[in-house]
Amino acid sequence: MATAPKTEPDVEAVDLETRIIALCHANPDGVTDVIIQDDMPQFDVKQRVTAINRLLSTGRIDLLKSSSGKLVYKLKDPDAAGLVKGTDQQEKLVYQIIKDSGNKGIWIRDIRYKSNLLLTQVNKILKNLESKKLIKAVKSVAAAKKKVYMLYNLEPDRSVTGGAWYSDQDFESEFVEVLNQQCFKFLEQKALSAQETKIDPIAQRNASFASSEDMWKFISELGISKIQLSVEDIETILDTLIYDGKVEQSIVAKAGGIGDSGQVKLYRYVSPLIPPTGLMRMPCGSCPVSDKCYEGGAISPTTCVYMKQWLDL
Amino acid sequence: MSNSADKVCQLLLREQFGVVAEKIGCCLLRKGPCPLSWLANEVGLKLDKVREILCFFIQHNLVMYEKNKRGFLEYRMAVKPTLWRCRFPKYIYCAKTLYGDAAELLVEEILHHGQVLMNDVVQRVTDRLNEALRESGQPEISARVVYDKFCSLARTHFIMRCTTISAETENSTIQAPDNDHSLYEVPSMDIDGDGRVKRKRSLDESDQPVKRQKTGDTTTKEDGIYWRVNLDRFHQHFRDQAIVAALASKIDKKASEVLRTMLRLSEVKSASYAPVTTPVSFTEIFQALPKEVGLTRSVTEQYLALLCEDSTEIVSKVGNSGGGMYSVNIYKGLISLCKAHVESVVQERFGSKSLRIFRVLLQRKHLEQKQIEDLAMVPAKEAKEILYRMFAQRFVSITEISKTPDHAPSRTFYLFTVNLQQVARMLIQKCYQAMANALIKREAETMEHRRLLDKQERVNAIIATLEQTGADEAQKEEVKQMITPAEKTKLNQVKETCNKLDQAELQLDDTIFILETFIFYTERETCVS
Repeated sequence: MATAPKTEPDVEAVDLETRIIALCHANPDGVTDVIIQDDMPQFDVKQRVTAINRLLSTGRIDLLKSSSGKLVYKLKDPDAAGLVKGTDQQEKLVYQIIKDSGNKGIWIRDIRYKSNLLLTQVNKILKNLESKKLIKAVKSVAAAKKKVYMLYNLEPDRSVTGGAWYSDQDFESEFVEVLNQQCFKFLEQKALSAQETKIDPIAQRNASFASSEDMWKFISELGISKIQLSVEDIETILDTLIYDGKVEQSIVAKAGGIGDSGQVKLYRYVSPLIPPTGLMRMPCGSCPVSDKCYEGGAISPTTCVYMKQWLDL
Repeated sequence: MSNSADKVCQLLLREQFGVVAEKIGCCLLRKGPCPLSWLANEVGLKLDKVREILCFFIQHNLVMYEKNKRGFLEYRMAVKPTLWRCRFPKYIYCAKTLYGDAAELLVEEILHHGQVLMNDVVQRVTDRLNEALRESGQPEISARVVYDKFCSLARTHFIMRCTTISAETENSTIQAPDNDHSLYEVPSMDIDGDGRVKRKRSLDESDQPVKRQKTGDTTTKEDGIYWRVNLDRFHQHFRDQAIVAALASKIDKKASEVLRTMLRLSEVKSASYAPVTTPVSFTEIFQALPKEVGLTRSVTEQYLALLCEDSTEIVSKVGNSGGGMYSVNIYKGLISLCKAHVESVVQERFGSKSLRIFRVLLQRKHLEQKQIEDLAMVPAKEAKEILYRMFAQRFVSITEISKTPDHAPSRTFYLFTVNLQQVARMLIQKCYQAMANALIKREAETMEHRRLLDKQERVNAIIATLEQTGADEAQKEEVKQMITPAEKTKLNQVKETCNKLDQAELQLDDTIFILETFIFYTERETCVS
């Protein structure tokens, strides 16, 4: 007899809890105390209170104040409920803000503004969350000292990591240079072998063209890159060669390419128009102090050391 | 004109005409047009002396004169022709490659005398040629050959008549030529059986200009028609050569031959400074191609297609008649060349990363710093450094676009851009400065070794006289010994230095020529539009 009163309310209580949750499921906007009372009049106030308290303490529902000022019960986000188990309200808030920022991440200052918490508090919470492996800090390439926070399981966005050309947050200029040179060598070689064929001029020019996909295959096979590069990445490299003035690009329509853009970007080595210009073949052209150079001055053409070195060669 | 260009003028005048000429030239440059008496007062020289020098300048086409509103005759230094004096070797060499030795000497003679009579120059050149031929033991040539060369130079407008000023009409205005062709008409010349030019007195002696009576011989010939070199024509030729050479380097030799032929064909047809030449048909081009180039019809067609498709856009197809009409866009060619020269300066001065950034700006016009970094794939820190350095040295400029009227830096876009014309002008300044430096250095070098050079000259003179008197080898050897080995190495060194500086001057002039022609065309274009 001693056990009966104990188990009976338990069964009833569990039943009540599941019914409340079902009710919350049906009303995602939240249920008020009145609705629960209407739905299951067989339970008295005391039973309801214990059931709701249990649900609240286990974090399965939330108690919120609606716009009309009434208290409503809402179902808690199931996975969030799982993750932030054992965290307090502020942590939950910060977690939610970080989650909203997606894979772009969010800066600590913005977290502070959005949460209206003190910096020290936010710092503590972030540390807490980090140690629980719920979030992670990622250094942004945009600013070296700027850390952004995002959920632990997310892959950072390109704008944060900088894409293939960044390792950590440093721009890998050497890697870019190596790729730049390799692409150039490839095109130069191609142009040279085209020249040796001694065919007619148009065929010769056409033979010196290489598409960006050819280049991509060439670079992938070379194995200089540890990471997988996309064709677009190679195109940005080829663009730098165009800006270097060593390569020209032309776009042709692709035969029967349906679905993609229908055009191929072709690249070709071009020789320069002129040899180094006359000005640069004497020291005055690259002289850093030419503005201060005049007869009788501290720097003058008759006493110029650069001129002397050049003439003594 | 700029300070540095004036400086070059001054140095050239001193080097070629001496200190007095330099003084007068400088005064004219500084003060602008001024009348004779005022000029004499200003430089503190005798009126006769100043008049003499002015005559000399006018003879060499370096001074212009015109009547001002009050009726004074004012003299003005022509800066450009003065600067072009350092281009003389190029004119002479150009004449040599086009028309051979006789033309070379003709142009040389005319250049060194400024304005000459045809008979004089033809006679002198014939003598000089014959002297050289006699020494090498070849048969002499007749003045007729030289005269023919003279005619062909005039026909292709490389030399022209001086516009005459009639002494009788009091107002001394320059007579406008009746038409363009009369400037290049060559009068006939009497050549006797020995190939000598007959000296024949003209009938109307009174019609000759008074001012031009500088050369010793005062007799009038061929109605007093004086000839001078048409420098503009040479410049047009240089301009075409530069474009042809650029395409030869970019595509290949044969493509450049096709372009050369096109330019030669349209040369006579188009106006002298037209930005686009008159179209020529494929048939014409093919027929005019020199046989030794060895291009078949289909290959020529292909080369024309290649030229049209080239990124410089120098050649374009304008019609389909006559197997396709093609025209050459000189202005676009000059833009490409100017860009290439400016880029070359950037490359050498700042390095290849900077060149990349510079070219990004040239192609994309206005860009923010972040965009430049991304496009050029240069680390942000480095890009910043490069950009600011180029900005400090005026290779790139900034446009500020403010979101608010207060121009607060935080609400302003800073767009970097390249103003090609401005950069070209700045580089011309630099070139003239470098040119002046080279001239000063050369002068200093020769001054330093004046004694040694004089000594060498004396020794050479003695050897020459000994040779004439027929002295034996031992005597000559003895004279030669007067220059010690140490002196000899020093002399060689000085010679080497001067050659290097000379070459630098000529190369500088190449850059100046392209940049100035580009600016000249740009100004014409903006005037028209």
